[in-house]
Amino acid sequence: MTQLLPPIGAVLPELVLAISAIVLILIGAVRGEGSANLVTGLAIAVLAAVGVLVLLQPAVEVTAFNGSLVVDAYSRFMKLLAVLGAVVSLIMAVDWQAREKQAKFEYAVLVVIATLGMCMLISAGDLIALYLGLELMSLSLYVVAAINRDSIRSTEAGLKYFVLGALSSGMLLYGASFIYGFTGSVNFLQIAAVAKEPSFGLIFGIVFLLAGLCFKVSAVPFHMWTPDVYEGAPTPVTAFFASAPKVAAMAIFVRVVIEAFPHVTHQWQQIVAFVSLASMVLGAFAAIGQRNIKRLLAYSSIGHMGFALVGLAAGTPEGVRGVLLYMSIYVVMTLGTFACVLTMRRKGQAVETIEDLSGLARRNPVMALALGALMFSLAGIPPLAGFLAKYYVFVAAIQAGLYGLAVVGVLASVVGAFYYLRVVKIMYFDEPVDDFDPMPTELKAVLAVSGLFTIFYFVYPAPLIEAAGAAARSLF
Amino acid sequence: MNVAAAFFYLFAFVLVASAFMVISSRNPVQSVLFLILAFVNAAGLFILIGAEFLALILVVVYVGAVAVLFLFVVMMLDVDFVELRQGFLQYLPVGLVVGLIFLAELVLVVGAWVTGPGVASAVASAPPSAGDVGNVQAIGRVLYTDYIYFFQAAGFVLLVAMIGAIVLTLRHKVNVKRQNISAQVARTAKTAMDVVKVRPGQGL
Amino acid sequence: MVIGLSHYLTVAAILFTLGTLGIFLNRKNVIVILMSVELILLAVNINLVSFSAFLGNLTGQIFALLVLTVAAAEAAIGLAILVVFYRNRGSIAVEDINAMKG
Repeated sequence: MTQLLPPIGAVLPELVLAISAIVLILIGAVRGEGSANLVTGLAIAVLAAVGVLVLLQPAVEVTAFNGSLVVDAYSRFMKLLAVLGAVVSLIMAVDWQAREKQAKFEYAVLVVIATLGMCMLISAGDLIALYLGLELMSLSLYVVAAINRDSIRSTEAGLKYFVLGALSSGMLLYGASFIYGFTGSVNFLQIAAVAKEPSFGLIFGIVFLLAGLCFKVSAVPFHMWTPDVYEGAPTPVTAFFASAPKVAAMAIFVRVVIEAFPHVTHQWQQIVAFVSLASMVLGAFAAIGQRNIKRLLAYSSIGHMGFALVGLAAGTPEGVRGVLLYMSIYVVMTLGTFACVLTMRRKGQAVETIEDLSGLARRNPVMALALGALMFSLAGIPPLAGFLAKYYVFVAAIQAGLYGLAVVGVLASVVGAFYYLRVVKIMYFDEPVDDFDPMPTELKAVLAVSGLFTIFYFVYPAPLIEAAGAAARSLF
Repeated sequence: MNVAAAFFYLFAFVLVASAFMVISSRNPVQSVLFLILAFVNAAGLFILIGAEFLALILVVVYVGAVAVLFLFVVMMLDVDFVELRQGFLQYLPVGLVVGLIFLAELVLVVGAWVTGPGVASAVASAPPSAGDVGNVQAIGRVLYTDYIYFFQAAGFVLLVAMIGAIVLTLRHKVNVKRQNISAQVARTAKTAMDVVKVRPGQGL
Repeated sequence: MVIGLSHYLTVAAILFTLGTLGIFLNRKNVIVILMSVELILLAVNINLVSFSAFLGNLTGQIFALLVLTVAAAEAAIGLAILVVFYRNRGSIAVEDINAMKG
């Protein structure tokens, strides 16, 4: 019999999330329909508190529950990022819900539970914890995609996401069962101790497992759901999808391959390199013809996942550090961009096409400037943050000898720059159309912080690089 | 061929045949029934292999809850199923070829199962399987101790399912009369009756 | 003839293939797709339980137990989403899931 009670400090963030999710449900259920604002406010406070708790965790590696839950510098970094995405997207949802008369307290509760799933996923130390964390996150996401239940597009997005997501978790599980069968263990470290040489069945298991994870990070060839779900889901939900779950899925992707399969690096490297290459290319080309801004951002996120995976393909601590930095910068840029998309409404009606941004520079120069900076940064134009993010992963890839991947990546970002710059051109050089409704304060704040971060990141990047470096080293 | 082998082939054959019928039958109600048959036979396989607890759980959870849920939804959605099924067979030849190739590869992998050099040590460190205790007892001993984290997490997954199903499908109809139990219970003799004095010629 | 692990794994492989085929071949009916997902998860469970029995370690059975639990939750959410989709669209045919394209 092993020790039953885990060290309380290690599991405190998860514990707080779990308990407050239950309390929030009770508050909502007892107070009834009108409790949406109260519950959402409390949920924001809880998520912020969890972020602080993660930040305050001591810088040592602790495991709990027989190694199922690992708290190290890596998990702290990624949890902080995921919680940031969740809390900011929840803040951005408040005004939207009020305007669309869609206020439901369940949304905030589901976001809290999804965040709990993400924390479990990021800290997972074995395949069972991985699966349960992933499902806790995904099941909440399926529901919030369809939360606008009277809209045909929202429910269709939920249905598509669900069917493809269920298939992908089936594949992930089939892979996990093979890995368990061929190594005799589900714990990542024990798998690594056994899986010294690549056997046929083990590789088969890895392929299936990675296929399931690729779905969750929406990497090609498992990206099909992304544009439809981004377009169909309510916009604050899309903002949430684009930030926090991507971070969590990428975190576990990196942890699995680095911790569980360090001796079969060559095998998974090929898969990751292919997926990364295909995502970068598809993200660059498929976005060109899009008119809907949410679909454009969907293809953009597919491409960005490809760039982040370049760092993982390198398989070195520098590469993993590149992934962490890429994800941090990606989350900040994405949240800022979605703050703009959420502002796009005329006479109380949300509009979503790129042409609706026409002449924004003359109507609202500050917003146009911030959105322009974000677009330049997403395209990877120096000296903005997006450029440095790409720089970190490409340098790691070149150091690892993956020249082809780096070259294709640079070419893909040149092609991708075309459609980002088209948005800027429409904002600055096209004839203005009607004004948008005034921007709520919280969206202004998010946009301002995100814009300032992208513009001035290069001035003082050292703290983030240091934190990401420490986090990456804790995996090796 | 001994009895266990005969039962294995029986269960396996019926399982595969009913799984095929699930995806190919024309009527979804039949699909659900074949799904139940598949689960029952899988439970038989589990008993053969010595996992009695899972076999029972499979019957209770799947046949008892999930399959009934499926049946319920199939009947609730009033869809013209005959029309829905047409056009299925046109994809069948291609599907069969792809499926057979896929299956052949899977079986090749399965045939390659060899325990690696380190498996024995990993097995030794894991919780022991049924020795002097039965399968149910062995699972009970570890489920609430070594695996308490997973147990709690599974509880949360079920909570999400409950919240999700309620938030998506529950509709409060305004004109439906409902029972207000707390008001009924709180009624006393004093509040139940109100004696009003009606004065002649004035009314109420 | 002795029934070994590979027999069980082969049955699971056949079930997995049938489940995958059911998802990709089915152009008409979403409910059958959900049932195919259940078949895939059943195949996974057979894999896990038989590995567990032949490795002599209980972890696989615990894993299978949790997969069963999650599969039940997944079925509930899937059917709930299907019901709200049906209320909006009036159909559950796969070809009618087409409000968004591109």
